[in-house]
Amino acid sequence: MYRRNAWILHAVLITTVVIVAFPILFAVIKATQTRVDVLSPSLIPGTQFVENVRNVFLNANLLVFMRNSFIAAVAVTVGKTTLSLMAGMALVYFRFPFKRVVFGLILLTLMIPIQVLVVPLFDVISLQPPQTFAEWWAWISRPDRILFQPAEYGFGWANTYAALIVPFLASATGTFLFRQHFMAIPSSLADAARIDGATPWQFLRRILIPMSWNTIGALAVIEFVYVWNQYLWPKVIIRREELQVVQVGLNLIIGTGEGVEWGYVMAGATLSLVPPLLVFMLLQEQFMRGFALSGGK
Amino acid sequence: MKDNAVFTSRVLPWVLLLPSFVILLVFIYYPALQAWVLSTYRSNLFLNTRNYVGLDNFRLMFTGPLADKYIQVIVQTFVYGALVVGLGLSIAMVVATLASQNVRGARIYRLLLIWPFALSPAVAGTIFLFMFNPDIGSVNQVLDALFGIKPRWLDTPLLAFSLVVLASVWKNLGYNMVFYLAALQNVPKELGEAAAIDGAGPIQRFFRITVPMLSPMTFFLLFTNLTFAFFESYGLIDIVTSGGPVGPPPADGAGLTTTMIYQVTLDGFGGSGNTGLAAALGNVILLFTILITLLQFRYGSRRVQYGDN
Amino acid sequence: MKQTLALAVALLLSVATAQTTIEFWYAFSDAPRSGWIQDRIEEFNAQLEEQGMDYEVTGERKGSYRETLEAAALAARQGQPPHLVQLFEVGSQLALDSGIFKPIGEVGGIDESAYIEPVINYYTLGGEVNSIPFNSSSPIIYANQDLMAEAGLDPEDVPETFGEVLDACEAGDAAGLEANCITFPLHSWFFEQWMSEQNALLANNGNGRDARATELLLDSEPALRIGQFMADLAENGWYSYTGTLEDWGGSEAIFANQDAMFFITSTADAGNITRAAADNGFAVKTGLLPIPDGVERNGVVIGGASVWLTDGHTTEELEVARDFALYMTNTENMVSWHKLTGYYPVVNDSVDALEAEGWFEEEPNFAVAFDQLLETNANQASAGAVLGSFLETRTIIGEALQRIYNGADVETAMQDANEEANARLAEYNANF
Repeated sequence: MYRRNAWILHAVLITTVVIVAFPILFAVIKATQTRVDVLSPSLIPGTQFVENVRNVFLNANLLVFMRNSFIAAVAVTVGKTTLSLMAGMALVYFRFPFKRVVFGLILLTLMIPIQVLVVPLFDVISLQPPQTFAEWWAWISRPDRILFQPAEYGFGWANTYAALIVPFLASATGTFLFRQHFMAIPSSLADAARIDGATPWQFLRRILIPMSWNTIGALAVIEFVYVWNQYLWPKVIIRREELQVVQVGLNLIIGTGEGVEWGYVMAGATLSLVPPLLVFMLLQEQFMRGFALSGGK
Repeated sequence: MKDNAVFTSRVLPWVLLLPSFVILLVFIYYPALQAWVLSTYRSNLFLNTRNYVGLDNFRLMFTGPLADKYIQVIVQTFVYGALVVGLGLSIAMVVATLASQNVRGARIYRLLLIWPFALSPAVAGTIFLFMFNPDIGSVNQVLDALFGIKPRWLDTPLLAFSLVVLASVWKNLGYNMVFYLAALQNVPKELGEAAAIDGAGPIQRFFRITVPMLSPMTFFLLFTNLTFAFFESYGLIDIVTSGGPVGPPPADGAGLTTTMIYQVTLDGFGGSGNTGLAAALGNVILLFTILITLLQFRYGSRRVQYGDN
Repeated sequence: MKQTLALAVALLLSVATAQTTIEFWYAFSDAPRSGWIQDRIEEFNAQLEEQGMDYEVTGERKGSYRETLEAAALAARQGQPPHLVQLFEVGSQLALDSGIFKPIGEVGGIDESAYIEPVINYYTLGGEVNSIPFNSSSPIIYANQDLMAEAGLDPEDVPETFGEVLDACEAGDAAGLEANCITFPLHSWFFEQWMSEQNALLANNGNGRDARATELLLDSEPALRIGQFMADLAENGWYSYTGTLEDWGGSEAIFANQDAMFFITSTADAGNITRAAADNGFAVKTGLLPIPDGVERNGVVIGGASVWLTDGHTTEELEVARDFALYMTNTENMVSWHKLTGYYPVVNDSVDALEAEGWFEEEPNFAVAFDQLLETNANQASAGAVLGSFLETRTIIGEALQRIYNGADVETAMQDANEEANARLAEYNANF
């Protein structure tokens, strides 16, 4: 009875594992085939992998796309983790007026996914800043117009890394995670630190950070993957190929020419999976302990 | 709640909060306000014109010749979202439960199930586009050889819609699995064993114990999967169908795979750049999102309490 | 320290003497066409260097016409517009209205009489030439002669009317032809061409050329004929496409794979298709764009794309930019461009040159396109429509055809499309 059940279980699990992995394995195998084989249903690995990769890297600019995604993902991951840690620390270890309001205002942004703001954010990022002092003055002196009329000025950041990085540096999720984590740290530790005369900076360095690697790792995974996988915003705000990110770049590779070179495209899709997969695999333990186990609450 | 606030500096907390605050203010709150302002203007991306028109943009969406299109887009976004959430979560829940059984190689199974966590919508779309290409895709070549059929996956409206749902469910499977597997580690084994002694079969145990115990996680995933369906699916849809094809009547007002966010970018950045209209539709999405989040906070947190007991 | 200083000075100097870059943004991303443009850029840069001018032209592909226009608008907003932008004909009104471009007429130095007439006419609005004609084309039909023979048809007799296409499809069915009958990108462009062929206007006010257009005419009798053709093809399963609107490459792949007997697409693909047919081992013959039965052939809209100068640059930069655009479209280059792609040679001299070397006799597939152009009557229908909301209108017409393909009633579909397009047009016009 038990044995039969075990076999069924294995069968179901193996089937699921195959279904989960099949499309990716398919892409990997197709990335190794010649341009003739790639259009056949054959699933026998070929010998063209290096050739396809070379082509997609150099001729189809994948290297450039991946570099841009990497810069943006690393910058956002580091920046967001730092800012969230700072905010979390302020919210837990300091007493200051309006703390609940501040926390509420941060938490409220959970309800406003940045994608829904694509149109106004596009204006804020792409419009030019005031060019002269007179313009500055005229703009600043009319707060009613700043608030209740369509934006006249912005940052002038279209086609720059800043557009891909800066708007994403603050995070309600991150602040919330750190806050929860800090609140779970026994208060005796903080008391002891204070009695020892530790400054907040020493406390952060010697106690908080060493105790927060799981949360830091978890946030790093979430943010790296989030930025690496972004599509809509870069597609809209980046209109120069040398600054484009990898996800939009993939679509550019598909759109290159009449007959789509599917071997290249599959090589590109496969390679683009590697960095987030590595980050996830490396930080998987931390991610599970720091985020998934806490239920992402 | 115990108080950890041991430091007394008056300035330092504000210094620590300032960067986050400035960023949220400038890149979330200000654009959110601008979204409402812009939606009351007729505003054009190419012409840089801005004329105040009151609620005309909303009227344009919901009355007159364009109403069919916008209402269809809203309805089908919810249908798509419901399918992605319903199918995605139930499959993930069942498989995660199976992989959490006391079975040889469970660790390996779990690893093999979660690794596509980091899969992107665009890559998922790219692979599905190739596999299901009606003319050169492997799926049709196999179907043709076996059954002599070549379904038109990308131009038959319902098939195209189903393909997008399928790709989305598959894309999210690794992600959902990670969270369900983690949550299942927290479910006390004794509960299942006790139920087994009481004579409950595996299926009864799944519905009576696993499903309720997982409900806090389900609420969390419900929200993230809906966010995916509303927003992140854009890349997948853009690559697989570009929002098309238009459906059979009565769903022939718009491309059947055009979601609300897809329509926003079509209006605002495609065509002749009607950013006011796009901002108005963006606000409609925002209202739905806020509503869903409130529901999640209200019911989600209650269940979490229950689950933690 | 000294070394760093020296390095810094050297860097500064190199910046000071750096060449001014003239940016050209174009839509093509396929290797033959973008490669051709890059070759012309290199040649022109070599010329600049010889003349000792501190300029360098750089080219950047943008993927599609729509993307190119959007990218240019964003760059202009950013204060860093490129100098030259390749824009498609339907973007003309939007480009004009946007004010980010500078009509070539204002910069001067263009000899209007050098261009073949229908082409220069398209880009002349309100008496002024706005842009430098570059790539112009019209649709023709390509027939796979091997498949025609298999269907029991005379492979030399390429259908010229809707009725003949339908008959050929029926013959294909009767002969048990496995391939589909016909493919073309589901694109409004063909609809616009079929309107012109019937001497019908797409929009009021003389296709928007007498005054700003205020209404579309998508439910007129000629428009319904086109819709009916689509319905006839769909009803019998004779039409094939990839499911995506405006998927040029997809339909071309279907034809290249011998999955369709006929293919309607741009003359500009004559080169690519001839090569693909040779690669896949089938014979291809081209014919005039098939038109509705019983109407007199009025001719095609000669659209395509042209090169626009953008505002916000010094006169000298604009002159170098213009010189490059003129170099790229000079007699010799238009001959090689035409031979490579099948786009019309837009300058009269290059037509003469091609005739002199007997090109059209050698390559009858390329000649068809030219005959089609020469037979076109010059009137408002064939001049093409100018509309601010033309980009949306294109999508609306494409979707209407898709609806008909899915089985919708022709008249209802076209009426709905007309209402929708009118709403969008009114919305656009209200900006002024």
